[in-house]
Amino acid sequence: MAKNDGGRGARISPVRVLLSNEFGLIVLIILFAVIFASVSPAFLSKFSLYALGRTAAVNIMIGFSMMVVIVTGGLNLAVGAIGVGAAMTGGLLMEAFGWPWPLAIAGGLAVGAALGAINGVLIVRSGLHSFIITLATMSIFFGVMIFLTQAQSFRGISPAFTGFGRSKLFDVLSPLLLVSVAVGLLLSVLFRLTALGRELLATGANERAAELSGIRAHRMITVCHVLSGVLAAVAGLMLVARTGAAIPSMAGQLGQDWLLPAFLGPVLGGTLLTGGRLSVLGTFLGSFLVTMLTTGLLLMQVGAFWVQTWLGLLLLFAVLVDMARRSFLSRRKLA
Amino acid sequence: MSGRLRDSDWFGPFLVTVLAVVTVTAFSPSFLSPFNVQILLLAISVNAMVAFSQMIIIAIGQMNLSVGAIGGLAAIAFGGMMEVWGLPWPLAAIVALCIGLLAGLANGVLVAMTGISAFIITLASLSIYKGINLGITEAQPFYAIPQAVKSIGNDTMLGPLPWLVLPCILVAVGLWYALERLSIGRAVLAVGGNAHAAELSGISVRRVTMIAHAVSGFLAALAGIMLVARLQIGQPTIGDDWLILSFAAPVIGGAVLSGGRISVAGTFFGVALVAIFTQVLVLFDIDPFLVQIVLGALILWAVGINRYREVRARRQLGVAAP
Amino acid sequence: MKARHLILSTLVLACMPALAPADESSRVALVPGGPHPYFAAWEQAGADAAKDFGLGAADYKVPSKWELGMQNQMLESLVTQGYNAFLIFPGDPVGTVAIADELAGTGAPVMALAGCLKDPSGAKFCMGTDTGNSAYLGTQELLANLDEGAKIVHFTGFLVDPNTQLRIDAVEKAANEGGAEVVQVIADIDAPEPAEEKINAYLAAHADDIDGIVTTAWVPAVVAASALRKIGDKRIKMVGIDHDEVVLEAIADGYVHGTMLQNPYGQGYIGSYVADRLRSGCEVKADAPFASNALTDKFVDSGTVFAGVDDVGDYVASMQAITKDLFEGFESTYLDCAS
Repeated sequence: MAKNDGGRGARISPVRVLLSNEFGLIVLIILFAVIFASVSPAFLSKFSLYALGRTAAVNIMIGFSMMVVIVTGGLNLAVGAIGVGAAMTGGLLMEAFGWPWPLAIAGGLAVGAALGAINGVLIVRSGLHSFIITLATMSIFFGVMIFLTQAQSFRGISPAFTGFGRSKLFDVLSPLLLVSVAVGLLLSVLFRLTALGRELLATGANERAAELSGIRAHRMITVCHVLSGVLAAVAGLMLVARTGAAIPSMAGQLGQDWLLPAFLGPVLGGTLLTGGRLSVLGTFLGSFLVTMLTTGLLLMQVGAFWVQTWLGLLLLFAVLVDMARRSFLSRRKLA
Repeated sequence: MSGRLRDSDWFGPFLVTVLAVVTVTAFSPSFLSPFNVQILLLAISVNAMVAFSQMIIIAIGQMNLSVGAIGGLAAIAFGGMMEVWGLPWPLAAIVALCIGLLAGLANGVLVAMTGISAFIITLASLSIYKGINLGITEAQPFYAIPQAVKSIGNDTMLGPLPWLVLPCILVAVGLWYALERLSIGRAVLAVGGNAHAAELSGISVRRVTMIAHAVSGFLAALAGIMLVARLQIGQPTIGDDWLILSFAAPVIGGAVLSGGRISVAGTFFGVALVAIFTQVLVLFDIDPFLVQIVLGALILWAVGINRYREVRARRQLGVAAP
Repeated sequence: MKARHLILSTLVLACMPALAPADESSRVALVPGGPHPYFAAWEQAGADAAKDFGLGAADYKVPSKWELGMQNQMLESLVTQGYNAFLIFPGDPVGTVAIADELAGTGAPVMALAGCLKDPSGAKFCMGTDTGNSAYLGTQELLANLDEGAKIVHFTGFLVDPNTQLRIDAVEKAANEGGAEVVQVIADIDAPEPAEEKINAYLAAHADDIDGIVTTAWVPAVVAASALRKIGDKRIKMVGIDHDEVVLEAIADGYVHGTMLQNPYGQGYIGSYVADRLRSGCEVKADAPFASNALTDKFVDSGTVFAGVDDVGDYVASMQAITKDLFEGFESTYLDCAS
C-alpha cells in the first residue's frame, strides 16, 4: 500500500518504492529482529513473539486513533483519557450491570464515539486549536471517569472476554493482533476508496480549498474526532481483555502515557503532521517497530529505565529523517 | 481608567482570587492562619515558576511539552550532585540551572533550525529528558539533601512568608520588566503576534525562539530545584504532573495561545486560584478527584473568554476574525 | 534440632546443582509493582538468598513506573531472558492474575509477595504482611494512648494497591471497637508530591480538630512525621508504618508514638528460597495451614511488630528474629518435599 497521493498518477519508480516509508520500516523491522535474535535467541520463542504481537496490537490501535486526527491537521491529546473512559464503561457494564460482553463492548465504543464527538464539536464551534481543546478535555474526561469510579477498578470482567484476550492462535499469534489488522484494512478502505476518506484527506491538505470545493470542513473535523474516539475505545477495551480488569490507571495520569506511542506510530509511518497525507500500513509498521524496539531493549538488559530515552530519540530522528527525505524527493521531483 | 482596568488581563483573575479568599475564610477561618498561608505560598511559588516557564513559550506562539521533564531532570541533577559528588548546594544549583538552560536551548535550536513544530520537538525531548532522568536515578530518589536546602524550601523569612517566595517574586518582576521595557521582551511578543511581520521588521525569529526556549528551560529547572527544597528529597517524578497546570495558569491569566499576548500578573493570579482551589478540596473534604475536571473546565472557560475578547477586539478594529 | 535441620537442608541444596543439569539452576526474579522505598530491601534479600542457597540468580527487577502495562511487559521480557521463578507484588490484585497464570503456564513457580492476587490464580501462595491485621494493631496502639471519643485521621496508600482497602477497613473496625472516630481517610498519597500537598493542607486546616494520626503507607508516614516535627506538635499522637529513618528519628524524639514494622527483607529472602525448593521437586502441601484474607485463602504471614520508643534502636533485630522463625519452620509446615 503506497501512500495515498490524491490520485496524481505518479510514476512508481523503483527509487520511490525503495525510499518509501513502508519499505524502510520493513527493512528496519527485519534488521532489528535479526539483531535482537542474535543477542538473545529466546527473542524468537513462541512466548516472546506472542507477547510482542499482543502488545503491538494495542500500540497500533493507539497509533490509528491519533492518525485519523492528524490527517485533518489536528491533534487529539485526549486519546488516553477517552480510551480509559471507554474501557471503564465496558467494565462497569459487565460487572455492575451484568451485560453480556458484546453489548458492553458496544457501550464502550459508544462512549468513545461520544467523547470524540464532544471534542469535535468544541473544536469546530470555538474555532480554537485542537491542542488546547483536547488538553482541557483530556483533563475533564479523565477527571469525570476517576470521580465516577472513585479510582476503583472493575474486576468482574466476563471470562469469555478475557479468554479472548489471553488466547493463542497457533501458539504464537494473538487474536488482538488480528483485530488490529482488520481495523487497519477497514481504515485503508476508508481512506482510499470512499468519498468520506477523500474528503477527510482534502480537508487536512487545505481546509479553505476543501471548503470551496463543497466539502463541509467542520463536519469532517467532527467525524475524524468521533473516529479517533472509537479507535481509542478499541485500544482501551483490548487492554481490558488482556489484563482481565478495567483499571483507571491503565494509560497513566490523565491518559498521558499513550501520547508517545500515539505519535510515534503515525510519524514513523509517514503521516504528515500538517495533514492531508497518511499511510495506514506505515502507521501499522511504525507502531510494530516501536513495540519491537521496546521489547528488544528490555531483553538486552539495557535497563527498563533507558527505554523512554531511546523512544524519544527515535521520534526526533524519525521527524528529522522524514523532513530530509521529503526535501530530497521534492528536489528530485519525485514527490 | 476603570475601562482600562477592566480590560487588562490580570484584573479579572485578581478579583476572582480575592473573592475566593474571602469566601473560603468565611467558611473556615483557619484558612488565613499563618501556617496555612505559608503552605499556600509555598505551593504558589513553585507552581508560578512552572507557569512562567510555559508562559514565555506561549508568548512566542508555541508550546513546550517538556517543561515537566526539564524540571525533573534538573531536580535529580541537583539532588544527585549533592549526594553523589558532594557538591555544595549553591554550586549544584547553578549546574542544575545550566542543565535546564541547555535543555531548553536544545529545544529552541531544533525548532528554529528545522522548522518542525515545537509540539513534536518538545514531545520528543520530553521523552528524552524524562528518560535520562529515569536512567540515572532508576526511579530511586536522592535522599541526602543538605539541611540548608531543606530549610530554604520550608522555613519562613518574615512572618508567614516562606523563603521560596523570593525567587518567585524576583522572576515575576524580571519577566514583567523584560516584556514591558526591554527590546528582547518586545521582540518576543512581536514574534508571537505575527512572526512574519516581525521578521520583516528586522527581528530574528530564530534568535528569539532560541532565547525563549532557553529561558523556559531555565525557569523549569528553577521550579524543579525549588520543589526539591520543599519536598526535601530529589524525587524523579517531579514534573510528571506539570503539563495541565503550566497551560491552565497562563490561559486563566489571559494568554492567547497563538502568541503575542500574555500577562505576568494574570498568570500569577491564575496559579493562586488553582492553589486555593486544590486546598479547598482538602479543607472541606470534597472529593479530590474533582480537581482534574475543574482544571480542564477552567482552561476551556478561559480560552473561550480570551477568544471572545480577541474576536470582539478584531471586530472593533474592522478586521475579519481568523 | 533446628540447626541440624538447617544444615541438612543446606547440604541437600548444595547437592542439588550437581544432580540437576547445569542450566536448570533457579533464576528468581523479584518484581514489585513499581519504584517504592519499601521494596529496596528485596534487592539485598535476593542477593543474600542467591549466595546462601546457591541460586543461579535472585534479581530485583523494577518496572520504571507504577503501571500495570509496564509490569506485564517486564515480566514477559523476564521469561524470555531465562528467569524461571517469579516473586511478584501485584500491580493490581486482579489485573496481574492473567500474567501470573501465563508465567505459571511456562512451568515457573509464581508467588505473590507483600500483596496478594485475588483467588483463583496461578500463584502458589501469597506471603506478606497481614496488612489488615497490622493496621488494626497499629490503630489499637494509637487508641490506647488517646481518650475515649478520640478523632483520628487515616493517611494511606495507592488505591490500586491490593492492601489499601484492607487497611481502610481494618482501621475503621479498630476505631469503632475503641470508641473513636475516623474523621477522614486520605488515600492515593503514597508518593512525595501528593502526600506533601494533601497532608500539609489537612494539618494546616484541621490540626486542632484531631487527636491522632494513623498512617498505613510508607510515604505518608514519612511526610506526616516531618510535618508534626515542623509544626512542633507533640499533642497529636501518631502511629506510622515501616522503618524510614525520618519516622524512626521522630519516634526517638517523641513526635511519633510508634511504627508498625513490616518484613520486606524476610519476604524476599524466604520467597527466593521457597521458589528454589519448588523448582527442586517440592510441592505445596495440599493441607498446609494457610491463613485467609480478603483476597486469597493461601496466605502466609511474614510478620509484623509494633516498635515504640524503646524498640526503635533495635528494630533490625526484631525483624531478623521473625524472619529466622518463619524460615526455619517454613519447609516442614508448608512444603512436601519427596526428595
